[in-house]
Amino acid sequence: MQIQGSVTFDAPPERVWELFNDPEALRRATPGCERLDKVGEDRYEAVMSVGVAAIKGTYKGTIEIRDKEPPHRYRLAIEGSGSPGFVNIDASMEFVPAGGGTQVNYSWDVQVGGPVAGVGQRVLGGVGRWLIGEFFKKMQAELRADAS
Amino acid sequence: MKPPRFRYFAPTSVDEAVELLSTHADAAKVLAGGQSLVPMLNLRLARPEVLVDINRIESLSYLRVEDGHLAVGALARHRMVEKAPEVAARVPVLQEAVRHVGHVQIRNRGTVTGSIVHADPSAEMPAVLALLDGSVRVVGPSGTRDIPWQELFLTYFTTTLGPDELAVETRFPLPPAGAGWSFMEVARRHGDFALVAVAALVTADETGRVKEARLSLAGVGGTPVRPERAEALLAGQALEDDVLAAVADAVREAIEPESDIHASAEYRRHVAGVLAGRALRAAMERARRGGEG
Repeated sequence: MQIQGSVTFDAPPERVWELFNDPEALRRATPGCERLDKVGEDRYEAVMSVGVAAIKGTYKGTIEIRDKEPPHRYRLAIEGSGSPGFVNIDASMEFVPAGGGTQVNYSWDVQVGGPVAGVGQRVLGGVGRWLIGEFFKKMQAELRADAS
Repeated sequence: MKPPRFRYFAPTSVDEAVELLSTHADAAKVLAGGQSLVPMLNLRLARPEVLVDINRIESLSYLRVEDGHLAVGALARHRMVEKAPEVAARVPVLQEAVRHVGHVQIRNRGTVTGSIVHADPSAEMPAVLALLDGSVRVVGPSGTRDIPWQELFLTYFTTTLGPDELAVETRFPLPPAGAGWSFMEVARRHGDFALVAVAALVTADETGRVKEARLSLAGVGGTPVRPERAEALLAGQALEDDVLAAVADAVREAIEPESDIHASAEYRRHVAGVLAGRALRAAMERARRGGEG
């Protein structure tokens, strides 16, 4: 399934780019992220514990940042699996100047398999959107915390 | 299908249940009527390590009208609510909605409070809770608190209830005297979850115009939705076609339905607007008759 949207940040693209490449900020903003360890250039291993409904469980996986074009865009390749099932994500993130700030356009191609896929597309889509929304809200908070 | 292995506890008091929940926290699930949890266990969509079965806490099986509320204990089955004369007399919209929950066999076991904290946004009970601006009373290690519906529902199947908290009661404020009501839903088969459901509550003035109108929708996003702008449009209006068309548009704007194999998002959006109009007309009809049947 495709999850798309855009979020506005109150800082220029250079600063937002920095934020979206800061592993500590990313770890704090990712819902349920317990660990995010650097294992190579632009390559991380993550442990995420998701507490939401039927997809509740601990997922382990890798995150790779690809096709970097600072400060304009990058792609995230995320692979994770846990007892509820597995998830593969190919996410494109674009950082566009908007006024004095930055509009982040995202398009996430999410594939889910295993038992968790049985909860159905409506729920997975909804929960996915909600988790991504929480992530961006917390990234905005990270930016504000940093500015103050 | 059989559930994965779990440990089973059957406390006989709220304190005991809360203690079990504080000990096992995220690993535990509360079992009440089991009409959602047991299928999820059998399909292995839910894999709790611990089940806390509250069916032996007899003090939670009650319905009471008190302080302007209908208080529904955590073990009150849907069927108990459906059959209660005080529900028919004081909160008829709840009685109508509860008849749409599953089938008799499901309503005999399933609980109203369980359905609400399970937080399926297609379910009827959360929508009625939102319509009446109700709340859920929970008990945790640090005491009792009431969570208003606006703060309760986060997204699909997800609430702000803590892992160590037990929902002990649902509190539905009684609708104003003379209010008209309606509950309508579109589902593939009777007893299925709603593709879209709409609950309406209307009070009318002497001239037959709307004094206050409320709408609540299920099946149109991650939580029940009160379309505030649509409600505001209705104040002081007669329910003419152009008013209802504007209301339908405002309803469609307020929701974010998802597509699935049962219906597309566009279909759900369309139906939501149509049902809102029908429900408002039916509610107004009852309001003119003084809120009776």
